[in-house]
Amino acid sequence: MTDPLLQQTFTGVFRLVAPEIALVGTACVVFLFGCLTNRRWLWFVVSLLGVILAAVLAGTVKTEMPPLLTASAIIPDGAATFVRWVALITVAVLLFVSWAEVDRSNASEYYGCLLVAAAGVSLVGRANDLITLFLALELLSIPTYILLYLPARTRLHQEAAAKYFLLSVLSSAVMLFGFSYLYGLTGSTNLTVITDALTKAHAESLNPMALVGAVLVLAAIGFRITAVPFHFYAPDVYEGGPAGVVAQLAFFPKLAGFVALARILGLLGGDVRSIPFDANTQLPLLIWILAALTMCIGNVLALLQDNVRRMLAYSSVAHGGYMLMGIVIASSLPDATGQPGIGGMDALLVYLVAYGMMTIGAFAVILFLSTPERPVDSLDDLAGAGQSHPISAGAMTVFLFSLIGLPLTAGFAGKLLLFVGAFSAPTNTNAMRNLYQVMAVIAAINAAVGAYYYLRVVGVMYFRTPLRPATRSRAVPTFLAAVALAGATLFFGIYPAPIVNAARKAAPVPAPVQKTTADRNTK
Amino acid sequence: MFEPIGLALIVLLLPLSACLLAAFSSLTPLKKLAHVPLIVACGSAAVVALLLLLKVLDSGAGVPPSKPITWFAAGHLQARFTITVDALSAIMLAMITFVGTWIAVFAGGYMRGDKGFPRFFAVMGLFVFSMCGLVLANNFFVLVAFWEGVGLCSYLLVGYYFEKPSAAAAARKAFLYTRLGDTGFLLGIFLLWKLGGWHTDLNLLFDHIQRFQPDAWQLTLACLLLFCGAVGKSAQFPLYVWLPDAMEGPTPVSALIHAATMVTAGVYLLARCAPLFAMAPDAQIVVSWIGGITALLAAFIALAQTDLKRILAYSTVSQLGFMFMALGTSGTISPAFAVTAAMFHLFTHAFFKALLFLAAGSVMHSMGGVIDVRQFGGLRKVMPTTHLTFLCGALALAGFPLLSGFWSKDLILESLLAAVDTESHYTAGYFTLFLVACVTAFLTAFYTFRAYFLTFWGPEKIPHEAGHHAHESTRSMTIPLLILAAGALSVGIVLEPFTHWFSDFLGSAPSLMQARGRTPAKDVAHHFNWIIASVSVVLALGGIGVAFALYRNGGAERAPAGMAKVFELSRKKLYVDEIYGAALVKPVEVLAFLARVFDGFLDALARLISTIPRFIGGWVRPIQNGLVQFYALSMALGVAVFLTFVVFRITR
Repeated sequence: MTDPLLQQTFTGVFRLVAPEIALVGTACVVFLFGCLTNRRWLWFVVSLLGVILAAVLAGTVKTEMPPLLTASAIIPDGAATFVRWVALITVAVLLFVSWAEVDRSNASEYYGCLLVAAAGVSLVGRANDLITLFLALELLSIPTYILLYLPARTRLHQEAAAKYFLLSVLSSAVMLFGFSYLYGLTGSTNLTVITDALTKAHAESLNPMALVGAVLVLAAIGFRITAVPFHFYAPDVYEGGPAGVVAQLAFFPKLAGFVALARILGLLGGDVRSIPFDANTQLPLLIWILAALTMCIGNVLALLQDNVRRMLAYSSVAHGGYMLMGIVIASSLPDATGQPGIGGMDALLVYLVAYGMMTIGAFAVILFLSTPERPVDSLDDLAGAGQSHPISAGAMTVFLFSLIGLPLTAGFAGKLLLFVGAFSAPTNTNAMRNLYQVMAVIAAINAAVGAYYYLRVVGVMYFRTPLRPATRSRAVPTFLAAVALAGATLFFGIYPAPIVNAARKAAPVPAPVQKTTADRNTK
Repeated sequence: MFEPIGLALIVLLLPLSACLLAAFSSLTPLKKLAHVPLIVACGSAAVVALLLLLKVLDSGAGVPPSKPITWFAAGHLQARFTITVDALSAIMLAMITFVGTWIAVFAGGYMRGDKGFPRFFAVMGLFVFSMCGLVLANNFFVLVAFWEGVGLCSYLLVGYYFEKPSAAAAARKAFLYTRLGDTGFLLGIFLLWKLGGWHTDLNLLFDHIQRFQPDAWQLTLACLLLFCGAVGKSAQFPLYVWLPDAMEGPTPVSALIHAATMVTAGVYLLARCAPLFAMAPDAQIVVSWIGGITALLAAFIALAQTDLKRILAYSTVSQLGFMFMALGTSGTISPAFAVTAAMFHLFTHAFFKALLFLAAGSVMHSMGGVIDVRQFGGLRKVMPTTHLTFLCGALALAGFPLLSGFWSKDLILESLLAAVDTESHYTAGYFTLFLVACVTAFLTAFYTFRAYFLTFWGPEKIPHEAGHHAHESTRSMTIPLLILAAGALSVGIVLEPFTHWFSDFLGSAPSLMQARGRTPAKDVAHHFNWIIASVSVVLALGGIGVAFALYRNGGAERAPAGMAKVFELSRKKLYVDEIYGAALVKPVEVLAFLARVFDGFLDALARLISTIPRFIGGWVRPIQNGLVQFYALSMALGVAVFLTFVVFRITR
């Protein structure tokens, strides 16, 4: 510890995670004093104050990139900032959304867990070390188990919680197994070191062990982003879980999963012109297949659902497939000639934000319309909502249109960037050739198929009369959150520049090195 | 403000504000006046559009596109909003707002007392707004946004009587069939962007493609994909089936969809993209053939339909086919001539088809909602104004000499014949299409007058649904009929045959000049072609004559002797819906069934797996019904498959 730079790297770490510390600290306060008095509004306000404190800290505490990336477990780069702000805004929204299902008995635990999960997501964004990354992912998973179990009253709820717990633990085990390969190969847990070493190694010849490790990590993260065949839990859990928690579950793990995957594959933070698994290493081809399978199977199965939650679960699977396209596109960057228009990761981040708005919004509406006596499960439960709850139904329509990807909704901007990225990817490489374009065509067909089942919900809401008399829900914050999300979906659909710019700042597209043919031919 | 772009924006904003006002009025006691803003807005928009037309006429061709508003930028992809005004969009704008105004006036009377009165006018305002935006777009972003907007509004309007299951189904059918085409449309746009250096403005894109000509097959593919979108929106074969079902909406909506908006979007798209299509002759012959097949098929189906509105709907499909036939000759002959032919037919068709639909609506209104021609007849005396105006529309549609349809149909026939007389590879194809067009013209005259005679001639017959008050419609409904009838009679002769005003004006559009510059095609002289004119007169009069011979006594609907089989085939719509049912819906059902079977299989497998541990240890609690083990197994299998894949690929 004589090196002053190293010293600085270790001591400066607390500055880098001040908002996360604030979130977890608030959570601890909420957990502790929740034993004394468990009032919904009190802990709601305290949690919200915690989030605001975290946001203030995030905005004011100046952080610099540590001088030694190879020794830093936590880095505050552009992507990390982007993920942190998304996590903070999302958790604030989720606090409002969950109002409808929190009650006196579980308020402090519920809000506390939510804060911890957000801290976990935010940490995933800035983890630069396998151990930090794993801990951050667990920091997200463990509160989720509790959240799923907290309002569990029926067998269905409990079953959902148990299923999620078991499978999530399994995926974590697989992930650790993959991490151990990466560590074994490079002798370091630092992601910068690992990606640099693998890139150098792959320049000579392909290392199969590295590929095995990456595949294991991909499989484990596949669980979080509901990629086929790791998606099986999603419909059961989405159907059985409490709607507010499911809203969180549909978004946070996807955000964390994609960011973690991108970090491990070297697509975020480092120099994307040299990445350990570029298009020549077969891994992008595997992700390509995964993306195609995921969007096709997700969409086809969604067609068959009569249960809104199950439908949204499969739709979330399908959207996971669309987003995987971003990773595939990003892996083509080393082959790009000239400045590529879309880097892949920037499109993915835009899509993630749009997806978060519309999916959380859709579950917020479902939660708002559900009452204990009359839960909204099957499509029939939404019949006639257009008359009985015009504003909620209008918001739901916005979310569904955005999920379809109609223009002037945020979903359109996300899809557009992904499709343009796929279409502008280079076609003259050995391994992929014009597979990028094929992927865009598959995605376009899927998007058209998807319109059918989303539109069915709109049709049921407006073109049918209610089967049962409407009930009035008094969860005003949930309602407000849904309306705000609908407004944001429209706003960022009409004016997507802020998100696009932020995403491009987080994942900049560099001018490619003219990888001379000599460079590859010298060996 | 009074620059062309400013005027265009005014035209665009007027219907939008009407939409907002109508929507707002549903919250106030002024509900019953919800139609007023739309009528006023459309009317003033029509006046402004006319001013705009004059401005464009004055300025020659060169109105530069508006200053771009950058939406967002991602690398090369500058998503910008620009609108443009040229001859093409100015004519469309004037037509949409003019016809729209009278349809709105008519709807004010027709929809009176309906409980969704304000909703109807709000969506209709949005519809007109979307259509105006679509024709003003100089940019694929704006175009797609309004394109989808039009689709959305048609969904809302066709499904207006949503309590009726058939209306809700028709609305969904319309939306989904057009979206099927839109998938191709979007892919085509992406391909075009790629070919055109990621320019999003249409004029820049066309410039770029003309300067750096891509491979022929790529351009052909891009054009065909764009055409997919047009096929969906303009209801061409094989996606035309949604349009007749769209009759489930209120009649003014049908008039709007069929005349001024929605279905003309596809024709407009191809006219706007003429510089591209002119360079892709292989795509063009496909366009022509699809048009020809549609025209003939729809005309044949229209022969024996008994629902008055459906006859008109199939006739729209058929007439749109005519327009595509003409568009498909662009490049082989001078693009300006081909596009003029198609746009002129679109223009005249807007008048007489709106008229026919509104007249049919007037009949339906006074017959108490009955629209089956077998149930009424001899309405000549009961509804004199409707009768006369319907006759004007029918004559124009049939191509009766000197009426508007006659002139525009002749232009189309002429463009096809001119295409035969070139060095193109496809002259034989164009000649066949010319014959197809002639047959279709004959059929058109026949079925139009079959409907006319069955409705208005013969002994008076009034269905009991009409009660005792079958009468001529109110003035707010007959005045639009009269105005449109005047248009249907005269727009043709005034604008084209002697003055060539329409073709000169349209030919000055920059995009058409650009298209013309790049093709070797020869110009077609604008002279009156006696041969074509006499052929078409014979066809029209022949069709009308046959209909007169068969149906002048009105009475029961019947097939001509010896033609019963043919009529049966026609009435069953050539079994196209059934074929689609068998060919498309069944496989999907089978697929869905297989998926269920597969699900069931997985389920069974899961049960099997779950029974083993229970059988052995009995420690599986009911809560773990075994599915989790299966899920975990599938995850493990997934990892195994992935690893195998990777290992296999490496070692190969």
